[in-house]
Order: sequence, then C-alpha cells, then structure tokens
Amino acid sequence: MKLRWRKNSRATPPAGELVPPEGVPLKLEVAGLGVRLAAQITDVILTLVAAVCLLILVASLGFSAPETLMAIGSLMFFIIRVPYYVLAELAWNGQTVGKRLMKIKVISHDGKSLSTHALVLRNLMKEAEIFLPATLLLTLDAATPLASGLALGWIAAGLMVPLCNRYRQRLGDLMAGTHVIHQPVPVLLQDLAGNPAPRTSRKEGFVFLAHQLDHYGAFELQTLETLLRAQEASAERGRDLKQGATIEAVVEKIRQKIGYANKVPAAQRLEFLRAFYNAQRAHLEQRQLFGEKRKDKHYTAKDAPS
Amino acid sequence: MSEADLIRSARFRKEREAGWQRLEALVARAERDGLQRMEFAEARDLAALYRQASTSLAIAREISLDKGLLNYLEALTARAYLSVYAPQERLGGLFRKFFTQGAPQAMRRSWLFIAIGFLCMGMGVLAGYQLYLENPSWYHVFLPPELADGRGPSSTTEELRRVIYDEDPSASGLGAFATTLFSHNTRIAIFVFGLGVFLCAPAILLTFYNGLVLGAFYALHAERGLGADLGGWLSIHGVTEISAICIACGGGLQLGAAVLFPGDRTRRRALYHAGRDAAKLALVAAVMLVAAALLEGVGRQLVQDMVARYALGWGIGLCWLAWFTLGGRTRP
Repeated sequence: MKLRWRKNSRATPPAGELVPPEGVPLKLEVAGLGVRLAAQITDVILTLVAAVCLLILVASLGFSAPETLMAIGSLMFFIIRVPYYVLAELAWNGQTVGKRLMKIKVISHDGKSLSTHALVLRNLMKEAEIFLPATLLLTLDAATPLASGLALGWIAAGLMVPLCNRYRQRLGDLMAGTHVIHQPVPVLLQDLAGNPAPRTSRKEGFVFLAHQLDHYGAFELQTLETLLRAQEASAERGRDLKQGATIEAVVEKIRQKIGYANKVPAAQRLEFLRAFYNAQRAHLEQRQLFGEKRKDKHYTAKDAPS
Repeated sequence: MSEADLIRSARFRKEREAGWQRLEALVARAERDGLQRMEFAEARDLAALYRQASTSLAIAREISLDKGLLNYLEALTARAYLSVYAPQERLGGLFRKFFTQGAPQAMRRSWLFIAIGFLCMGMGVLAGYQLYLENPSWYHVFLPPELADGRGPSSTTEELRRVIYDEDPSASGLGAFATTLFSHNTRIAIFVFGLGVFLCAPAILLTFYNGLVLGAFYALHAERGLGADLGGWLSIHGVTEISAICIACGGGLQLGAAVLFPGDRTRRRALYHAGRDAAKLALVAAVMLVAAALLEGVGRQLVQDMVARYALGWGIGLCWLAWFTLGGRTRP
C-alpha cells in the first residue's frame, strides 16, 4: 500500500456554496459554532423542563420509589430528547425551536432535500458526541484518572472535528452529509437606476462621455451604490446623515479622475452622483455583455479575453 | 419616463419584479403553514416561480451590477429552494419502512461486522472463564464492585443461589425498568457504538472487556455447580441484551473501518456511506435494549423456573433472528 499524502487536485468550491438540482449555485453562509451552541442550549433547556414536568407528574402519581427517581428522571430526559430533535427537524425542515430562534437551519450537503435517514443519524450521533461526554464531564472525579483522561480526550476529539473543516460539521453532520447555515433574509431594495432623481429638464442633466466612463470597474460602482443607499435610507428616516464633507470629497475625486470639467454646485452633488451611477452602470453592463468584465479600476486591456 | 429610458438591467428587473414578490409571499406561507396545507395552485406556483427565480439569478449574475438586486435574488432563491426541497415523508410510513425493510436489510448487509462483534464478545467470555479457573482473584480485577453486587469468590453457594432465584425483589415496575435500562450494559452499548468511529480499537476493547466480565462471572457460578441456573437467570434478558451490545459494536466497527480503510473514496465519503447502515444498527440495538430492560425489570421476577427462563430468553432470541434473516426480503 502506498502511503502518501493525497493532494486534492480538484478545485473545491468556496465554503458556503451549494448547488441545487437546478444547477444555479446558491450562496448560503455556514453557521458558526457560537450560534449553534446557543441553539443547542435553548433546546436542552426546553427538553429538560419538559422532562422535569413529566417527572413531577410521575412522582405525584406515586409510580416510583424515591431511590429510583434519578434513574427515571434521566430516562424521561432521554425519551423526550431523542425524538424531539428528529421530529422537530423533520417537521420544520431542519429546524428545532432553538434553531428557529437563532435563525439557522440544517441543509443537505449535496443540494438535495434532507432525508429522514440524515436527520436521524445526525441526532443519534449528537448523543454520542455531546450528551455522553457532557454526562461524563459531570461525573468526573479525581479518583479515576484513567477514565477522566479518556473522557477529556473524547470531548477534545469531538470538539476538534467541527473546528477542522470548512463547513463546521460535527461528526454526525459528516456522516449524515449535512451542515448548518444561516437562513438568508431577502430584502428587495429600490433600484437606484430604475427610479432616477427627478430632473428639471433634459439639458440640465449631467452628461458623461464614453471615455469618461472607462476609469472605474464593478467594485467602485458597487461602493458608490452602498453610499447612495445609505444616503437614501437616512433621508427616508428623516435624519440627515452628516456626510456633506464625504459627498463633496467623493464628487471631487470622481470629477478629477474622469476629467469632468464643469463645477458641481453643492445642491446638486447627490444628483450628480446618481447620474454618474446610472451612466457608469449602463456602460459597465454593456461592456460586460460584450465579454469585458471590469472587476475594478485596475483593469487593463491585457486582462481582456482575446 | 418611458421604459426605453431605463438601462437594460433595470428593465430586466421591472419585468420580473411582480413574480419575485409573489414568490416571496408564497415562501413565507410555505414556511409558516407547510407545503401540505397549501392549495394546489399555490404549491404549483411556488415550484414554477422558484425555477423562474433561479433562472433570473443566473441571468442577473451575468448582466447586472446592482448589488442590492443580486443579494435579494440570492437570498430569495435560497429561501425558496429550502422550502421547495423540504422533506415530504409521513411519520407512520417511516416507522413501518424501518421495521419491515430498512433494519433487517441493513443487518444482513453488515453481517461481517456483527459477526466480529460477537467474536469479540465470545473471545472475552472464553478468556474470562479460563482466567478465573486459573486464579479466582482475577474476578476482582474484572468486575467493578458495584456490578458484582456483593457476589464474589468469598460468598457462599447459598448466597449465589438466592440472588438467582430472588423471591423478594426490592424495586419493581417503572423504577426497575428505568434502573435496568440505565444499567451497566446500556452504557456499554452506547459507548461501544459511539467510540467505534475512533478507529475501531475502543469498541473492540470494550466489547472484549464486557466478555471478560461475563466469563468470570459465569466461571464463579459454574465452579459451584450453579452454571445452568445462572444460564437461565442470564438468558431471560441476556440473549437480547448481549446481542444488542454485539450489534452496537458491529455498527461502531463499521464506522471505524470506514475511517481506517476508506478505499477509493475520501474518508468523509466513506464515513457517509458507512453511516447509512451503522445508524440502523444503532437503532436496532436501542430497540433490543429497551426490550431487554422490560424483560429484566419485569420478566425475571415473574418467571422463577429455570426451564421457563431458558425457553423465554432463547425464544425471544429466535424471534430477533427470524426478523433479521427473513424480514424485508423482496420477491424476485
């Protein structure tokens, strides 16, 4: 047998990209361990409360002797906990109550729908990975150094797995082929180009020539978009963002760069930026259709595909 | 302002915006109420609009530089994807499928690992038995005091017999069920399965050790001529319980073997494939452990006759075997 480090020659897709059966890759941000821990704690508290309620009910009905109460309690916790995770994730498409609160979700790694098998497996492994070491940790004592060492090693190994892979999968996730993501929130913002600022008349509008639009790329355009959206949002809330100086600096910088001769009066600075955004976007999008993708201002003709 | 004044990507958005907003509303509804409760037309529109949105996303990535639009479409399509491809199975069907097909088929597929599990246990029993006969002080090495329950080489034959035919059980009913379920053996089974992933060794060692305990314990009784009685006492639940440990060990070994010998696959893929059967083995072991706890907590006190104990224990063992070998066979 040849023992050598297997180099992965295939280019791996960036973490957080998922290809659904439709073939259009989607960006889904992988959830971090902190958020998942918070969801987990919420769920544990919920199931623990349910178990305690059930235990009190059983004890009040007189089914049990006091000395077996502890065993019955852990049995209750167990039989509530195991189905809870599986059934909740099945019914809510990969979310438990804790995950709903934290707005995270389990998804299948291969882009298909979550299978029951995957959900059962990842939650069964949760027993071996989280709850068993946790109970071990609670019962550790100095009298049995070997057992304590084993338990600590187990916990450390279990914790290392999610830290060592890009999708933050724990062992159960690896086996079930799932990972946890942040649920995306769609917010439809206004189209800046779709609703240009009202112009008083055609000839007063700003006009840009083709060579003036050749200086910037998509990155600069989208930075400008962010700036304009922030302005708009503050105007909507009726608060004036004290950014007069920034706007002035931006306008001057753009004028210098593209060689725009006319002075822009202070009242029309925003309007100038909007007009420039529209013209620049139209220009760049058109170039892009012809196969010339300008990522940023450092674009040179050499980058263009011949 | 006419349509023609707008730049191409803004027109693209204007034409499709209504569909996206309808999709957003449908997705919100599907997430709140579930696809099952939506009307036919709505569900159909959801699927169709989702596919349109993913086409829009693909086009927008090429033609549009509007970051706001791209982010929106990205999130909307992802959200719609998650609700369109939600699991659509019914719970009742799941249970039936597991018991009639999934479990027995998985058991047959992984017979080798289960056999290795039984082998580990058997070797342990043999070793424990021989070691005890050689020197009885091994008994205290293997058996933790709380498991031995006061029984040991120093106790009299009469004491041993009294434990086996216990006329006055201290705990009964639910309490006994719970204590026995969370007794030594269940913990062993969970450990054996969970630790299998870590390169097989812990699972094999633990199973072997469990066999040692059993062997020494049996040798103690066999030496006093109580071998057959102990056999009855153990087999009423032990046939089920020890098989469950061996099956759990088989599941753990399967996972460990996938990590050790992934073959042509990557380790991650191998683990994923091994997990399919291993999870079913774990579930089977869990079902068997619950059954064993019921037998131990209830059956052992009720049935005091040795022959009846043998018959009950091994009869149930045969039932398990029949389930595993005959269940889920498809007719050619």
